[in-house]
Amino acid sequence: MATTPAEQSLGVKPAQNRGLWAIAARRLLRRPKAVIAIALLAILYASGIFANVIAPYDYNHQDVTQVRQAPSTQHLLGTDYIGRDIFSRLVFSMRTSLILTVVSVITGTLLIGLILGLLAGYYGRWVDTLISRVGEVFMAFPHIFLMIIIAATIRPRVLDMIRNFEDSTGITGLVRWGIVDYLVVFGALAAFSWVGMARLVRGQILYLKETQFVDAARASGASVWRIMVVHLLPNALPPIIVAVSLGFGSVAAAEATLSFLGIGIQPPIPSLGRMIGEGQNLTILRNQPWIILPPVIVLMVIIFAWNLLGDALNDVLNPRTR
Amino acid sequence: MTQVQRAPQPQQKGEDILVDVKNLKMYFPVMQGIMVQRKIADIKAVDDVTFYIKRGETLGLVGESGCGKTTTGRCILQLYRPTSGSVVFDGQDLMSMNAQQLRTMRRRMQIIFQDPYSSLNPRMTAGNIVGEPLVVHKLVKSKQEYRDKVAELLTTVGLNPYMADRFPHEFSGGQRQRIGVARAIATRPEFIMCDEAVSALDVSIQAQIINLLQDLQDQFNLTYLFIAHDLSVVRHISDRIAVMYLGHVVEIADRNELYANPLHPYTKALLSAVPIPDPIVEAQRERIILQGDVPSPLRPPSGCVFHTRCPIMIEECKGGVPPLREVAPNHWAACIRV
Repeated sequence: MATTPAEQSLGVKPAQNRGLWAIAARRLLRRPKAVIAIALLAILYASGIFANVIAPYDYNHQDVTQVRQAPSTQHLLGTDYIGRDIFSRLVFSMRTSLILTVVSVITGTLLIGLILGLLAGYYGRWVDTLISRVGEVFMAFPHIFLMIIIAATIRPRVLDMIRNFEDSTGITGLVRWGIVDYLVVFGALAAFSWVGMARLVRGQILYLKETQFVDAARASGASVWRIMVVHLLPNALPPIIVAVSLGFGSVAAAEATLSFLGIGIQPPIPSLGRMIGEGQNLTILRNQPWIILPPVIVLMVIIFAWNLLGDALNDVLNPRTR
Repeated sequence: MTQVQRAPQPQQKGEDILVDVKNLKMYFPVMQGIMVQRKIADIKAVDDVTFYIKRGETLGLVGESGCGKTTTGRCILQLYRPTSGSVVFDGQDLMSMNAQQLRTMRRRMQIIFQDPYSSLNPRMTAGNIVGEPLVVHKLVKSKQEYRDKVAELLTTVGLNPYMADRFPHEFSGGQRQRIGVARAIATRPEFIMCDEAVSALDVSIQAQIINLLQDLQDQFNLTYLFIAHDLSVVRHISDRIAVMYLGHVVEIADRNELYANPLHPYTKALLSAVPIPDPIVEAQRERIILQGDVPSPLRPPSGCVFHTRCPIMIEECKGGVPPLREVAPNHWAACIRV
């Protein structure tokens, strides 16, 4: 038992790095696919965050004399049908994608899904029945179809609301900055992303609340809040982290889908789906591939990187595949 | 049935009873239905159990798997809210307490689990596991006091204080069980339920943990409910022993009395199953082999629940549940044929 001096001489790592999380993090960073995924995502999202600095032109800067130009030193990825710089629009699209995915994953998937799943799993009975059945109703419809309906029906309402808000407070520019689009797309995405997470969390909690360490906490007199936050959540987290990582990819794809169909982000705000939509015809693909290929490739890379990261996280966190 | 009258009572009025269980029943409902759940049956895990535990003594609770030992213990701690009956702890009725009152009472009664692997939260350090009851009951005022207290607890159970920063997966089974013990004694409880506390450990470690439990009992005047299926361990640690079968207590007696003079046919069969570590004696050991299996607690037999397997069963046994009678001084058995 008394191995302190021996341990010290053997250079055992300090205690604070031996927790399960620290071990998982170290394992993760030893995996090439995790490093690649993190690097790709870091580059893409950093360009979105620093879009103002990186983009050589404004996303809405039009030069009608330079329409559908091939890539050159002046326009790195060429220009689109009204002479806007594609590289600049791509970088600003990353910002749109980043904002929307992060906000809807955090609020929709994490906040709503986690809380509902926790309640359903912990309290069971009618709470569980209610949440599970409502979730099943949501799952029963094709997502794209319902998202289109939501996006199409709430847009006028949100627009009115924001206009009223602008009028009453004197703040201007909200509509022009595309806040309406963000809210609409976010609403459509969040309405669905919670179901999968709630189910996952519920299942985890159902299993965890029967474990002996939760019994021990209950026998110690721990409150429900403490049991949830200290004992249930940290142990339910590994699959949640994997699901969130995979969820980022699918939410990014869903956002692009809505914008591609013309009901998501409205012009002139750039988004990947919008850019793909504007370039979608055979003549362009054949003659000016620089208009459509960049957004397609970037979207692919985003989805690929999130899935890769999710896969690596699963390898590291899931005890069954370890 | 006038059950209260036949409840075992302590010999003298003056004896200090810490835990008093009367007519405890724990029925788990069996539900069926898709939208609306209906109760179709009850699993009678604990059916009309009555016993008491004196302050400072160890009551061993034995019986085979599924006989309701653990459920009984959990009902005492109110981890399950029993269907009916009464559980009185140091004069206070736990059954009538609300969740808030119970949480304060939990400081005085604790539990040690069977499995040292699943009873510790894998994402907490040993120190925080041991210190959690201190935080929950606000028994420490500062960070420093908390650390000192945790170090003291770890030392008490034979671990090194520097191990407080380690995580459960870095300990051996015996060390983990010591952490479980340290957590149980953190709030200086009066009563600890040891739920198969040594069953998952190998024999040499079992001995260490049992010795630790006995030392702690002397040191802190603890009262134990020691649940086990290992009869030699129970014999070693218990003052009195209760034998359970299919949710009923069939016999309660002082340790030596029970082992020397078992009265209930089930107890006799159970004790005859203990192997003797002497090959010559072992070869001559007379075993009572019971016929059949334990009936389902979903549909327990009528009358004496043991009558389906009892070697000395007579027609009257099917009639009514035999009361726990004081057959010899302080020796209670639930059998009409003794």
